[in-house]
Amino acid sequence: MASNNDIYSKVCELLKPYNPESRPISRQSGIVSDLEVDSVAVFDLVMGLEDHYDVSIPMEMVTDIKTVGELVNAIQQLTSE
Amino acid sequence: MSLFDKYAPLQKRIDVMNKIGRDALGVQFDDIIDATRGRIGNREILLAGTNNYLGLTFDADCMAAAKQAVDDHGTGTTGSRVANGSYREHVDLEVALADHLGMPSCIVFTTGYQTNLAAISGLAGDKDVIFMDADAHACIIDGTRLTNASTIRFRHNSPEDLDKRLRRQGKIEGGHALVVIEGMYSMFGDIAPIDEFIDVTHRHGGYLYIDEAHSYGVFGPTGCGIAEEQGVLDKVDFISGTFSKSLASVGGFCASRHREFDVTRKVMRPYMFTASATPANICAARVAVDKIKAGGHLRDNLKARAQQLHKGLSDLGYDLCAEPSPVIAARRPNEAICAMEWNWLLDNGLYVNLAVPPGTPQSSSLLRISLSAAHSEADVNEIIAKFAELKGLEGQLMEDMMGKLAG
Repeated sequence: MASNNDIYSKVCELLKPYNPESRPISRQSGIVSDLEVDSVAVFDLVMGLEDHYDVSIPMEMVTDIKTVGELVNAIQQLTSE
Repeated sequence: MSLFDKYAPLQKRIDVMNKIGRDALGVQFDDIIDATRGRIGNREILLAGTNNYLGLTFDADCMAAAKQAVDDHGTGTTGSRVANGSYREHVDLEVALADHLGMPSCIVFTTGYQTNLAAISGLAGDKDVIFMDADAHACIIDGTRLTNASTIRFRHNSPEDLDKRLRRQGKIEGGHALVVIEGMYSMFGDIAPIDEFIDVTHRHGGYLYIDEAHSYGVFGPTGCGIAEEQGVLDKVDFISGTFSKSLASVGGFCASRHREFDVTRKVMRPYMFTASATPANICAARVAVDKIKAGGHLRDNLKARAQQLHKGLSDLGYDLCAEPSPVIAARRPNEAICAMEWNWLLDNGLYVNLAVPPGTPQSSSLLRISLSAAHSEADVNEIIAKFAELKGLEGQLMEDMMGKLAG
């Protein structure tokens, strides 16, 4: 099972194409508010994570996720179920 | 801190747009002359971004029906069909659309947006799971948000990816899968492989819902849409559409091969708690249904114009997003260049759509054209000529833009 840090690294890697201005990413970064990833791109990012970890991350769950850290924690919880 | 501070990044984008030229999302026409011509100030504009696919907004019979409806029933309905009752014409239109689609049940709504909002929220319950194409329109996304159902997105136009996600989901305890796709997608003009989606959906015991907003009237031998074109209309569970494109009015519909669909009238909030469509809108759409059924000549011209334009723009080297269809979108390098080109086209008498993220797939910036059966061969040649001229001006326009942005 992937560790929280592994998942964080993967999320950062998959975020790169959506962060063309290379804004610094931390667990506290707001995906939309700080990194300015648009709402559709967030869902595209999530589809990539779903396939990588073979989990379903429903859209209503994504809507509640605001920061990079929250996204990492959500994936960790889903992969441990 | 102000309530509006969160819009600072958006305001920055708007400011850049305004420095470059007009607000592309707030164009005002001083007159709409006919299905393909408008006027801004003293300049006549060739309209190539209105989704008026069959050009019926100025059809003499549709106009006469709308005028007669005002004379007969007044200007507005002043309430919902649940509270105030339906007019005979609402019901007649439902029967006509159901008959056209060969389905036993059809419900008419006040706008196209509300149609998907209402039908999806009415169909999906707490235990159901919605599977939605990644490029689905905002009204489908918003429809899923009105439900308590889980919603999973699958990769655009990929039945294989849908199959994978349905398998990943496994058995849906106490519920069903509702798969939502579109016939022709509004931004790129690309078309769904509906036959394959039917196969995957039904294999998993799910229901297939197709939004044919941009394809009803445009495709199929009698204009029912892409499902009819692909010969699978009788297998589709739900077909939704709008009146504000081929049907040349305002409103929408959802039809089903399941007679029980009618029960959702009692639960769909965007149906129950909004005023019903006006008599003029309903009566214009009713005549347009007959025009669509007999509109093979309109579809033939639309197809010919689409091929003409697609070839013309391809020959000029434009990067087009899909095969020829009534929606032809050219991918541009970024939002600022796209806005600059869009302004030049409008200044030179051509209206197309400026389409930018998040309203577009793949964060694309697009010059989007929607063709009409009312466009002539000469009109399309004019569109191609403007795009050719635009291509030749790229360097100069870029210089002008840099000056404006620096100023």
